[in-house]
Amino acid sequence: MRISTVTIFEQGVSSMHRQQNNFMETGQQIASGRRVVRPSDDPQAAAQAVGVSRSRAVTEQYMDARVSARNSLSQEESVLASVADGISSAKTLLIQGASDTLSDADRSSVASELKGIRETLLGQANATDGNGRYLFGGYENGSAPFLKDATGAIQYTGDANALELRIDASRQMPVADNGETVFQSVPGGTGYVAEAGDGNTGSARFTGPGTLDPSDPDHGSAFTIDFSVTAGTTEYSVNGGALQAYQAGDPIEFGGLSLTVEGSPEDGDSIAVAPAQQMNTDLFATLNKAIDVLDTPNQTDADRARLHNTLSTAMRELDNSLDNVLTTRASVGARLNELDTVDSVAEQRLLNYDQALSDLVDLDYVEAISDYSRRQIGLEAAQKSFADISRLSLFRHI
Amino acid sequence: MSIFSIGVSGLNTARMALNTTSNNIANVNTPGYNRELAMLAERKAGGGTEVSDIERQFDQYIASQHNSAAGRLASLDSYQIQVSQIDNLLADTGSGVAAVMENFFSALQDLTAAPSDPAARQGVIGTAESLTAQFRSLDSYLDDMQERINGEIDSEMTQISNTAKEIAELNHQISVARSRSGEAPNALLNQRDHLVAEINQRLDVDLHVQGSNYNLTVANGQPLVAGTQAYGLAGMQSPDDPSRTVVAYVDSAGNRMQLDEGEFEDGRLGGLIRFRSETLDGVQNRLGQMAVSLAAGFNEQHEAGTDLLGDPGERFFSVSQPQVFSHAGNAGGAEMSGAIEDHRGLSGEDYNLRVSDAAAGEFEVSRRDGSESFTAVLDAGNQLQFDGLTLSIDDPTLLVDGHRYQLQPTRRAAGEIDTLIQETARIAAAQSTSSGDNRNALALEQLQSVSLVGGEASLSQAYASLVGEVGNQSNIIQANRSAQESLTGYIRSVQQSESGVNLDEEAANLIRYQQYYQANAKVIEVGATVLDTLLNLRA
Repeated sequence: MRISTVTIFEQGVSSMHRQQNNFMETGQQIASGRRVVRPSDDPQAAAQAVGVSRSRAVTEQYMDARVSARNSLSQEESVLASVADGISSAKTLLIQGASDTLSDADRSSVASELKGIRETLLGQANATDGNGRYLFGGYENGSAPFLKDATGAIQYTGDANALELRIDASRQMPVADNGETVFQSVPGGTGYVAEAGDGNTGSARFTGPGTLDPSDPDHGSAFTIDFSVTAGTTEYSVNGGALQAYQAGDPIEFGGLSLTVEGSPEDGDSIAVAPAQQMNTDLFATLNKAIDVLDTPNQTDADRARLHNTLSTAMRELDNSLDNVLTTRASVGARLNELDTVDSVAEQRLLNYDQALSDLVDLDYVEAISDYSRRQIGLEAAQKSFADISRLSLFRHI
Repeated sequence: MSIFSIGVSGLNTARMALNTTSNNIANVNTPGYNRELAMLAERKAGGGTEVSDIERQFDQYIASQHNSAAGRLASLDSYQIQVSQIDNLLADTGSGVAAVMENFFSALQDLTAAPSDPAARQGVIGTAESLTAQFRSLDSYLDDMQERINGEIDSEMTQISNTAKEIAELNHQISVARSRSGEAPNALLNQRDHLVAEINQRLDVDLHVQGSNYNLTVANGQPLVAGTQAYGLAGMQSPDDPSRTVVAYVDSAGNRMQLDEGEFEDGRLGGLIRFRSETLDGVQNRLGQMAVSLAAGFNEQHEAGTDLLGDPGERFFSVSQPQVFSHAGNAGGAEMSGAIEDHRGLSGEDYNLRVSDAAAGEFEVSRRDGSESFTAVLDAGNQLQFDGLTLSIDDPTLLVDGHRYQLQPTRRAAGEIDTLIQETARIAAAQSTSSGDNRNALALEQLQSVSLVGGEASLSQAYASLVGEVGNQSNIIQANRSAQESLTGYIRSVQQSESGVNLDEEAANLIRYQQYYQANAKVIEVGATVLDTLLNLRA
């Protein structure tokens, strides 16, 4: 076949172009470290890489969420530890205050110590995080959730919600507990609490209640024991039932429970016995009740009975509150553990994503560098052959 | 018969042969030049030789093959240049839509952790601004491409019309020359063939050789050159969509008639037009669909929440409404406007609508990609409902059979998305009036995994499939282009083998004809010597 001179030049130039393009392409890959520089280099890999890097970003996003969650929960945990200490000290003081040997002045000093503890606990209940948000306010975390009103009673103004964060694709975790759950609740399954009626005038003191038979059909209901004194004979009835003779020191049994009452009740005195949830569950109300009674001078047997009964109720309530705080704390601890578990899974997942991304778009340097040298040789060969062929001309010889 | 006349005929022939060779050498690099051969023949009477013809080495069949291969290559070339721009645009992983979207959702995550924190709220607004800005900037790049294609169609049309005029003029000159001397000058023929090759690079035209004339027709059979008469092509505003320039045929009366774009495959113009309808429109629509899905889906959830001031959430992003164009020929017809009813139903396609029965309010609706067509009927409220869209007709009594409308539901959406919420307190993170409530923020954050786009893909999946599709398209074009390049190269070398100049060959001819000349000169010298000898006999 005839070959025209133009063809010789054109083909030489176009093969150099081709070689140069290939050479540049490998060079660009090596410079960027990526095999897929543009989507067209490997459309499937490029599309998959978008998906993998989003999954990676989402995993990182949840890691950030877990950092916030861990912060909140750790703060809560340390506050709850102090609260538990506070309740224990209050309990100790109550035991001290219940002693019959104490004078009014001694009791008053116990009361003032107890007031200190109440203020400390109030402080803890109104604790804020680093951003000034109240830990125990529920969603109403912009203002202090526990407020003392004019009468000295402490009111909860937060709500019953708990802030939740999505800490993993399918797990939304509460990262706080509201004040109601922490300071105004008792754990489920807590036993009975007894409380003497407000207007009791007699000297009856109760001990208990104790549980005899949890399978009793009435077990779980609330009971009221009413005393009546008719012509010097003291009788009682349970929930308005039949009157029974009262014998000081003998246990009164009802609904699978037993309550021992000593002393002499007056006509109209009463004792309420109910599951803890139905009685006062507010820690601050308990403390106020105890402080009030400790601050009241004891003059009569009835006063002493009231002191005994109130402190007995308060001690049981404090035990329940402490249980509640400890339960909450355990749940916080469990959540912190869960965060750690999820974190370590996520770290593994991040590694996998990185590996997948790298497999999809990153360059195999060994292969690329060998390509690079091979293409360099190709380019040089094309240049050499072009130079040689273009030098060959009959005109050089005539 | 004379030794002198024989010698002189040889000298003349040698000179002509040398001229031919010199002309070949001189034009070795001239585009469109076909090498020439001096055809030598014995004189019919009186001996001696003559040049019977200076023959142009040109093969119409191979030339046509080469023209169509080069036209196809030019088409793929211009397609590739365009599609690789989008390819590069989507390649940027650091600042692309995917990256800013990740930032946005990560800011929302920060908001769930601190729903009343002004810094977290500002973060959401800031990343939303950069997300919408990214959508707009991508779209404005694509819009610029649309504009440039409009401009290029205009300029290509001018070039093609000019070339057609030149070819008609050459037809004229060639027939004049032929009637004068019976022979057409090779230079004119070369020029004309070269112009045909050039026009093929711009557009696919069909060549019909009729006597000494070249007649050209464009794809649907309309004459571009008929003998010495040239017709024009021009760019015109599309009657379907005023923002776009289409190819129009200008007849002898100067009327413009739109040519069917499907007819254009080859040449730079074919590449541009194919790129525009196959890739550019689709990418812009898909991006728009993502913008609508993000905006509408996000707004829905945001409006379900409560902001820091205790008010219900407002719209967070602006959502643009579909564009409906009434065909330029719908004079006095009903006007149509569109609204997005359910963004999950959107198909991401454009639609053509034609009134098929005005009295019954019946429309023939077809997707522009040809994937589906169906009939839609006006409901009691004078509305058409399909694919998540609602179209309202202003006055159904003005409907006329055959009137056409074009509907572009999401073409402008990516370019028009914006962040409406500017005040941090207006972000509705809560579902109650409590400042610490983060439930709506959690729901908003969760939207990143919800199938918002067309009800079947999350935002990120939709983006990934866009990247994959553009990459695929670009890849296919590259592969086709490189195959076409080697085919064209081969045909070019065949064509050059016939018509191209080889300098070695010409060098040999130069020597050969030089010796030929010298030999004939010698003949004359010998003739003179012989004559002298005779004359000297008398002395």
